[in-house]
Amino acid sequence: MRTPAPAAAHRLSLTAGVVSAVVLLCLLVASPAHARPPVDPHENEDTALPLLRDAAAAARARSYSGVQFVTTWGRGQSSTSLVDISHTPGQGSVLTLPATGNRPGGRVHTGSGGGTVNGVMAAPSEAMLGILAVNYRVAQAGSGTVCGREARIVEVLRTNGTPAARFWIDSDSHLVLRREIIDARGRITHASAFIDLRVNPPGPASATAAGASAPGPLRPEALESVRARGWRFPGTLPGRLELFLAKDGSSAEGRYLHLGYSDGLSVVSVFVQPGSLDTAKLTGWREQRQGGHSVWVRDTPQQETVWESGGHVYTLLADAPADTVEGAIGALPHVDRPSLWDRLRRGLEKVVSWVNPFG
Amino acid sequence: MSQHLGERLSALIDGELGHQERDRALGHLAGCDECRAEADELRKLKSRLRAMEQPAIPADLTMSLLRMAEPGEPLPPRPRPLPGAARPARTSGPRDGRPSSGPGRPGRKRGIARSRGVRYAAVGVVSAAVALGTLFVVGGIDTPTVTPPVQGVFYNDHFGTTGNNVVPLQPGTVRSTP
Repeated sequence: MRTPAPAAAHRLSLTAGVVSAVVLLCLLVASPAHARPPVDPHENEDTALPLLRDAAAAARARSYSGVQFVTTWGRGQSSTSLVDISHTPGQGSVLTLPATGNRPGGRVHTGSGGGTVNGVMAAPSEAMLGILAVNYRVAQAGSGTVCGREARIVEVLRTNGTPAARFWIDSDSHLVLRREIIDARGRITHASAFIDLRVNPPGPASATAAGASAPGPLRPEALESVRARGWRFPGTLPGRLELFLAKDGSSAEGRYLHLGYSDGLSVVSVFVQPGSLDTAKLTGWREQRQGGHSVWVRDTPQQETVWESGGHVYTLLADAPADTVEGAIGALPHVDRPSLWDRLRRGLEKVVSWVNPFG
Repeated sequence: MSQHLGERLSALIDGELGHQERDRALGHLAGCDECRAEADELRKLKSRLRAMEQPAIPADLTMSLLRMAEPGEPLPPRPRPLPGAARPARTSGPRDGRPSSGPGRPGRKRGIARSRGVRYAAVGVVSAAVALGTLFVVGGIDTPTVTPPVQGVFYNDHFGTTGNNVVPLQPGTVRSTP
């Protein structure tokens, strides 16, 4: 006699398998692991800004020494330097540069902060951080290693989400171990990093050095005060550069006005002198058209640029991407020298004013 | 009433009309209020212009102009005949009615006239150049020429803006900053 037991058992096991698979699939779909992650309420906040503030404070308060490379790309060429840095809280830093082909070596002393030559900062100053917080979003971006030290990576993001800078901050000392500045096209324009670093234990001077003051954005009344003295300059420049410094100075060439613009990452200094530019003494400079204007430039990391406009001489030094510098130059005053007829007309007006008894 | 004097009014004020023309012009002025008023205005304007200081002409330029001049009598005034008046006959004597200085030599006279024309043109060009040069100098901007102290003062200030107050020094030296 044939019994149906084996076939029924096979169908039963097949059905059980299908049901199990369906149940498992349902469980997987309904699993919390596949649910949409909750929205981070701090997504648009500067969650890593305190890390940069700590880094700025550590650069002033900690005692350290080491070797750092500094590379700058600008106007189609790059410049790299190795710098020996020794920082003592309360006394500043001593930077030693080896001589290169077109630049003499030597030592410089910085009064405060963990600065390096070529204008690249080991840590952003408080003034830069205030403007940076307005223009960018600062967020943590994981961790990494620089010169054998564990570091937390901080990204500075534009409003469109593209990175404008990255900082590698030492997990132990909070010093900035590496810094990169990135332009709008994603190219690195400035990079500096320690290749060797020795950090000393915190000393008693740390507490006082950590509170170093820094200038903030220029107040409107201070701005008007400078303009009332006859200086003419824009309050902002393209690239979110805000005026945060305007002070008078004097040199052997006479008085001048120093203007400082920054977006929190880059710094553009503009110096204004009354007078006309003595181009005969501009050795090592070359004249070129930039933004439709005639300027004199010198290929240095600071992208030195000089021009004359309306009886004033403008000098620009920048630690900023080349496109930012170009935009700044275009937005600053450019008045061509008066033509022959303009000059004759002005002379005639002066002579008439001298002989006119009613003038 | 006869036709107004027009541009002959200026010649009258400048004393450039001959005797006969001047008499006619003065006769017209006596009966024409409009021309008389215009003559008064012209006199006032020219007296004011004469009162203005003239730019000094360099001594060497004056000597050059004198050397260019040929010896001869002063230029006669240029006659400006009244409309309708008969054109005076061309004579070898002076046109202002003065007696002739002697037997005429037409070729010599034409040469002298050309020479005087050249002198007038030279003086005019030089005067224009002096005037334009004066206006050019006066119209210049009264600002000194400067050379930016980039490597020293400006670099120090620039690094100061980054919170560092860097003072670039010569190799092998160290300087403290406040």
